[in-house]
Amino acid sequence: MQVVGRQHRVLVTGVGVVSPLGLDLSSNLRSLVDARDAVARVRNFDVTKTRCKTAAQIPDGCLEDALGRRSSSHRLHRGARMAGMALREACDSAKGSTPELIVAGTTSGGMSFGETYYRRLLATKSRKGLARLVGNYTPQKSILDALEANRLRIPAQIVANACSSGSNAIGHGFELVRHGLRTCVVCGGYDTLCELVFVGFDSLQAATPEKIRPFDKNRSGLVLGEGAAFLILESEQYAVHRGAMALAEIVGYGVSTDTYHLTQPHPSGIGPKLAMQRALESAGLAAGAIDYVNAHGTATVFNDATEGAAISELCGRVPVSSTKSMMGHALGAAGAIEAAFSVLALSEQFLPPNINFVEPDPTWKFEVIGNNSRAARVNHVLSNSIGFGGTNATLVLKRV
Amino acid sequence: MNLFIQGIGAVTPLGPTALQTWLSLCEEQQAPKRLMANAVADRKYFACMVPGKFVSEAARQPRLRRSGTLSLLGAAAGFDAFADAGVKPGGGLSDRIAVVFAICSGGINYTHRLYHEIVTQGANAASPLLFPETVYNAAASHLAALLDVDGQSYTLVGDSSVGLSALHFATELLIMQPELDRCLVVGTEEADWLLSDAFASWRMATNQDRFEVYGRTYGTIFGEGAAAILIGRTGALEISCSSPGQPFFSVRDSESVATELFGNLLTEEPPEIIVSSANGTFADEVERKVFGRLSPFIPVYAPKPAVGEALGASALFEVAVAALALRHQRLPGTLCAGFKLPSVNRETRSLSASSALVTCVGFNQQVNAAKLRLT
Repeated sequence: MQVVGRQHRVLVTGVGVVSPLGLDLSSNLRSLVDARDAVARVRNFDVTKTRCKTAAQIPDGCLEDALGRRSSSHRLHRGARMAGMALREACDSAKGSTPELIVAGTTSGGMSFGETYYRRLLATKSRKGLARLVGNYTPQKSILDALEANRLRIPAQIVANACSSGSNAIGHGFELVRHGLRTCVVCGGYDTLCELVFVGFDSLQAATPEKIRPFDKNRSGLVLGEGAAFLILESEQYAVHRGAMALAEIVGYGVSTDTYHLTQPHPSGIGPKLAMQRALESAGLAAGAIDYVNAHGTATVFNDATEGAAISELCGRVPVSSTKSMMGHALGAAGAIEAAFSVLALSEQFLPPNINFVEPDPTWKFEVIGNNSRAARVNHVLSNSIGFGGTNATLVLKRV
Repeated sequence: MNLFIQGIGAVTPLGPTALQTWLSLCEEQQAPKRLMANAVADRKYFACMVPGKFVSEAARQPRLRRSGTLSLLGAAAGFDAFADAGVKPGGGLSDRIAVVFAICSGGINYTHRLYHEIVTQGANAASPLLFPETVYNAAASHLAALLDVDGQSYTLVGDSSVGLSALHFATELLIMQPELDRCLVVGTEEADWLLSDAFASWRMATNQDRFEVYGRTYGTIFGEGAAAILIGRTGALEISCSSPGQPFFSVRDSESVATELFGNLLTEEPPEIIVSSANGTFADEVERKVFGRLSPFIPVYAPKPAVGEALGASALFEVAVAALALRHQRLPGTLCAGFKLPSVNRETRSLSASSALVTCVGFNQQVNAAKLRLT
């Protein structure tokens, strides 16, 4: 095994995003700048018996030819299509990179195939024709299909740390490159909307029948989203050697496990606070150096209270937004998509909005960016993810 | 940087601890099988289940009061690994230990129940108690809480090779973070009729009461259980090689990928024993061809006929068995072994071995291997 010596700078040289806000990075940028609301009534399953009726979805039509027209592509899960598209864009934008490993996050994998399997089983008792659903349902399969479609034969590490999976995947990839275990890693996450998870959040009354309003005094819960995002991370030495252009730099990663409860964070905010502190320490930065926080901001009463307390205590009057207000909560993909949005905030020098915001909560010191994006000088961004099971992950990104 | 196995834990259908399981394997015992039925369809499957009394200690933890079987098994194996290492879990570990879980099907019992409620009774009847336990990282969260870990807990998902991927992930954490003392890697799996039925539709599982390895491949029988490996910076049993694994994109492709991955480990400083993943599926044929060509005289032990195919737990269980074989200098006899692989170890015997290779050809496009060495 390799002995770890000096630390390397870790550059982001490629980004690919597929989200309800757009099918590539530039369309996502336009949506963020224009403060587009991508939340609409759920189309893929029945929501007549749930409190929440809405989610941010990617139309199936956009994904049909996502992985080309190879004979088996109709068998693939939507997650494979989203991941394949985002991976392709990331690799294309990093022109000539040769990733050695993929680290990807997900929470529900190909769950909708599991649902289809079970519904057909109940309806017919027969398993005829169901094998493809089993083979393509497992969470790693969409990533392997995305790799195959992009002609990448590299090892895959799939992290399922609930809603912080995407950030954990990027964070682990960052650490591997920073410590010299790898020179080029592709990392990110994917998740697709499915009935079981949608109903699950609804049963917990974490999903709202209203608009999603992160950090609003009258916030009432989350809405779900979906999507995929991947970042190509390279050591500076490798990127410079091959003449790659850097879009941003990742400088810090911190994690914590809040063991208070499986689904509720400790009310003090100690979980996200520890992750943020550790990320800042990892970056060698003081909290005052942060120009923008892309918050986890699910708009549930508990999440925003604890994350808000942590941001407020640590970063004071920093501008904060939750891009989930526009595209819902993409679970295992959220951290990856939000890291991609953080790269955009750094490269395009703007602050993404926090739409549906009406009334500030006087508890917190920080500034909620509000309903419109705005130009700003942004040198460092902190991106938070908080998940079930008490998993907290924070990334710190820097302008190059 | 050298990393070592400090503790070995397991709970299996054969025993509540790694040591008791090991003794049963050496006596060539086979776990009893229970027939699983379901009202959904008139198809029945055998499975090797863990008796409830094997996890009764874990079940007394208040945190695990409503948890699924998966979490109970994981906790039991984790505590067993600590006991084996002579390390007292709990206070003072905090951020000096990381927890890495390997999960394949996840909380399939609760997922099955929850979705059945949704489909048959409507979304408004779904239980809020079940949903959180269906999340892949629930078991890791519970064990982190019981161990008072406030630092890193990761859950890795994949096919039946995921345990080896998790083992490698843990070594990466320890290599990169000198402030970590140890990493506990746990693989866990629970049996369910739905899982067997789904895999049978995929022709990977059988409804018979036995399966053969390195012989006729007509599908596997599922088991449940958990295995845990406590890794640290000192010890006598080194993890001399681990890997994040390699994907394969077709069954035909799997042989060349396995040849490449296992090949280096078999030919450079060849191991003295192999603990394999043979389970009565195409994996047997892939391993047979590679072993037959590259290591025709290295004895192979396949533990799955004794305990069943426990997916998320299975690869780490193989690591546990390989570690115990080196520690006790014995190799159990493979049960239900066919005649296609002459080097399969058929009877329990004494060893004089200092290295072992663990191989896994996963169900769903992942291959992995790890190597252990006595120092």
